[in-house]
Amino acid sequence: MEGSNEPALDAKAKVTNQLVDFQWKLGMAVSSDSCRSLKYPYVAVMLKVADHSGQVKTKSFEMTIPQFQNFYRQFKEIAAIIETV
Amino acid sequence: MLLDLSEEHKEHLAFLPRVNSSVVAEFGRIAVEFLRRGANPKIYEGAARKLNVSSETVQHGVEGLIYLLTESSKLMISELDFQDSVFVLGFSEELNKLLLQFYLDNRKEIRTILSELAPDLPSYHSLEWRLDVQLASRSLRQQIKPSVTIKLHLNQNGDRNTKVLQTDPATLMHLVQQLEQALEEMKTNHCRRVVRSIK
Repeated sequence: MEGSNEPALDAKAKVTNQLVDFQWKLGMAVSSDSCRSLKYPYVAVMLKVADHSGQVKTKSFEMTIPQFQNFYRQFKEIAAIIETV
Repeated sequence: MLLDLSEEHKEHLAFLPRVNSSVVAEFGRIAVEFLRRGANPKIYEGAARKLNVSSETVQHGVEGLIYLLTESSKLMISELDFQDSVFVLGFSEELNKLLLQFYLDNRKEIRTILSELAPDLPSYHSLEWRLDVQLASRSLRQQIKPSVTIKLHLNQNGDRNTKVLQTDPATLMHLVQQLEQALEEMKTNHCRRVVRSIK
């Protein structure tokens, strides 16, 4: 995700952190030290966030499929509301 | 090896001959307790009231005693050296004997406490692993890429922290080989000789 072409008058960059990158992968856990036979799909997300000083931090997290579906629903709702604005 | 006591330290310890030996023994007991658990300033106030002196005087006396004991224990000085070091304070024969006995009785425990003050690198506590297959990512679909996710639990200074790492099976094999090689080193003649000479 590239930085947007927004004017430099954009105040939000000083107030909140900026999302610099959003990477994801879909994986399937096959085996673990506590359970030898798994078939567990998950979504892993790696976010890169820059604070107002420009320092970039990486945060990663995993979601189960139900958790991801909930996650996805949030964005669908946000997109729907933006349409009405 | 003789202890080199500073003037300030000698001043603080000068309080000890002013009280009777049962009080000195009590101070010694407080000193070791403070080494075990940390200082408790309220004890100084209680003692100061009973002895009719300022609590600062009591504090200095106990702290002087603590420092005397830790320095002596740290350097593991001999009985003779301890006696000679304390001699310069000009205490009575009885007080010198009391201090020496206290040193000898508590030296081992104090050394154990001091050994725990060494800087602590994170150390292994436990490890969880998971074998995954990556099926798709933002940049590439239709994949079958195996990987191993490891959650390393570490201890440091009594706290627990975790590190999550991910690698592919080939790198994991390499890691295992390197670790095995490190263990093998212990069996070489060189290592065996060094360990034997330290023992």
